[in-house]
Amino acid sequence: MGWVKSPIHKRAHQNKRYNTATMLQFKLVLLGDSSVGKSSIVHRFVKDSFDEFRESTIGAAFLSQTIKLEKHPDVTIKFEIWDTAGQERYKSLAPMYYRNANAALIVYDVTQPGSLVKAQSWVEELKNKVGDQDLVICLAGNKVDICDEDATAREVQREDAQLYAQEQGLLFYETSAKTGAGVSAIFQEIGERVYQKKGMEVPSSTQARKPLNVELQRPSTNDSTSCCS
Amino acid sequence: MQMEDRQESPKSQSALVTEPADIKKIKSEDFPSQNDDEEPFYDFQAFVKLMKDPRADPIVRYTRSFLNNFVTKRELWTSEEQRKLVNDFKVFVFDKLTLYEPFKSLDAANLLNAKEGMEKLIMGKLYHKCFSPCLKSQLNVLDKGHKLDLDHDAMLADKREEFRFIDPQHLEINDKISSKLETFTQLSAKELGRMNGYKAPRDKMVCALNACRVIFGFLKHLKLERDGADAFIPLLIYAILKSNVESLISNVNYIERFRYPGFLRGESSYYLSSLQGAAGFVANMQVESLHIGNQQDFESKYHANQDALRKERESRQPSDPHKNASIPREPYGPSPSDYILKPLDGATNIVLSKFAELFSPAPASPQGHDAQEDVEGHDDITRLAQEMEEKEHARVLRELHAMFPDMDQELIRDISIAKKYRIGACVDVLLTLSS
Ligand SMILES: Nc1nc2c(ncn2[C@@H]2O[C@H](COP(=O)(O)OP(=O)(O)O)[C@@H](O)[C@H]2O)c(=O)[nH]1
Ligand SMILES: [Mg+2]
Repeated sequence: MGWVKSPIHKRAHQNKRYNTATMLQFKLVLLGDSSVGKSSIVHRFVKDSFDEFRESTIGAAFLSQTIKLEKHPDVTIKFEIWDTAGQERYKSLAPMYYRNANAALIVYDVTQPGSLVKAQSWVEELKNKVGDQDLVICLAGNKVDICDEDATAREVQREDAQLYAQEQGLLFYETSAKTGAGVSAIFQEIGERVYQKKGMEVPSSTQARKPLNVELQRPSTNDSTSCCS
Repeated sequence: MQMEDRQESPKSQSALVTEPADIKKIKSEDFPSQNDDEEPFYDFQAFVKLMKDPRADPIVRYTRSFLNNFVTKRELWTSEEQRKLVNDFKVFVFDKLTLYEPFKSLDAANLLNAKEGMEKLIMGKLYHKCFSPCLKSQLNVLDKGHKLDLDHDAMLADKREEFRFIDPQHLEINDKISSKLETFTQLSAKELGRMNGYKAPRDKMVCALNACRVIFGFLKHLKLERDGADAFIPLLIYAILKSNVESLISNVNYIERFRYPGFLRGESSYYLSSLQGAAGFVANMQVESLHIGNQQDFESKYHANQDALRKERESRQPSDPHKNASIPREPYGPSPSDYILKPLDGATNIVLSKFAELFSPAPASPQGHDAQEDVEGHDDITRLAQEMEEKEHARVLRELHAMFPDMDQELIRDISIAKKYRIGACVDVLLTLSS
């Protein structure tokens, strides 16, 4: 059935502005106990990202944010961030959210050991149900600012969590949504990893993606409502 | 929870082959990224006009031939076959749009609109074959996918009755949430219920989005929106539980099956998943699913409700077999589709050969069984399209009036015109004005 060509390449050159950039869209799902700081991390990320595309939207549970990869300045990544309900009773909804995700950010609170246990159970579930070859998983120990103020508040040692993450092949960061420490690094690293995974799968990735960039990017100057009525 | 065993459909020999393997996963589809705040341009009438253009003849013929084959080649396709057939046709015809005038020279936004129009047109025509509640009369020959939709809808209806007495606290809904809760969840549920009034996947999706927007409007009003899913999900579940939206799960699954994947992304995709999750939660609700403060109080309410239900069910005519809890819910009856029994690859091959048949008639070579459709010609499709468009505007106004009864009717009309009857955009404006 050779009669169907991919429509992707059709309108590749409509807008020269983005021809050199690569724009990828990743779905990232947030997992972790209630109150560990998932929403705060994301809000910090969105707030601290000075986004030349001005594409970020802040919704209550879904938001998107575009960044440039520091290591590949020509690569732009749009994160679509999916929040999940942290309450234990809504755990059964999670598969609806993590299916087709490119990345999972699993957050625990370094002052609450129970939240690490919960985080680990998410790691297990993702490994069992998704298969981690496709999914970038990042473990984040949040609220380190509290430990900086008062070392006795720390209940989860950095080394322990790091070792666990290493064994499981996860990215690992300690963060503070309050001070911003580690937050942008997380998204940079996740973006980088997903990009690498995807890049490796497709040999001629830049070539293949170039036309795509244009399609993915809606230039702010070309509001779709302005060109027709 | 998974509402349905859904195998990722294997790659066909069609468009997917030319896409790099990762693209589908990354969801980098062939459509301009949409600003999540603003609905894209959507004008069905504009599409209808284009279809009337004589140069659109090949497209009209492709469409007619597909529709005709879809309804005549087989009495009933399985839900997965339908999904694949419809999707492959869209891929096919969307590509053709770039080859034939007047579509060929459209700019990106108008081309997108034409694709939307095409989806609306074909699903309007195929609705009675694809939307599970329309197939109720064929229950004993139904494939697993459609049957599960109906079963899950029935489960949801039963659970709604079983737990209709529960309070917000049982779902851990924030204490701050006020007396207005009932009003807003009812509004939200009303929007959900409107899904049944539409055939186009996009229109159903808009209703779903509006339902979610109403809840967010409420959360914003209470300054709780930063709680994100923690606040949103319980409210959505509560809205579903306290509503009597018919066929919610069938609707949601229909959207997922027949909304073009390139259109179902970002925020829409998030809310659709939330709805699936929330509906699934209610359909599987157990006492253990709930937060129970006072055990004794809960039990007495539960049993009182059970008694009341028993009486109601006794007096109720068993007109709808699905309302009857004693009907077995597992697949039963004569052999389901042959395809289900075969290993996936075998099934795929059969399905693939069917696609070839469906798409085979060349634009200018109608086969015998096409004769009747040929007589209908352009006008049939364009008239249908036009009717759908007119009804749409009237519906938008009606719905906005119903959702915002206190709002000045003139104002609602003006906003609707300004926002080109994009109900989502209208709801956003009206929510802002009303808070
Ligand atoms: N000190 C401190 N507090 C935090 C941090 N991140 C979140 N919080 C607080 O923890 C509480 C829960 O945060 P939230 O983001 O809503 O958690 P979520 O339920 O995981 O989304 C809020 O009161 C936040 O202000 C952090 O890095 N440091
Ligand atoms: Mg949160």
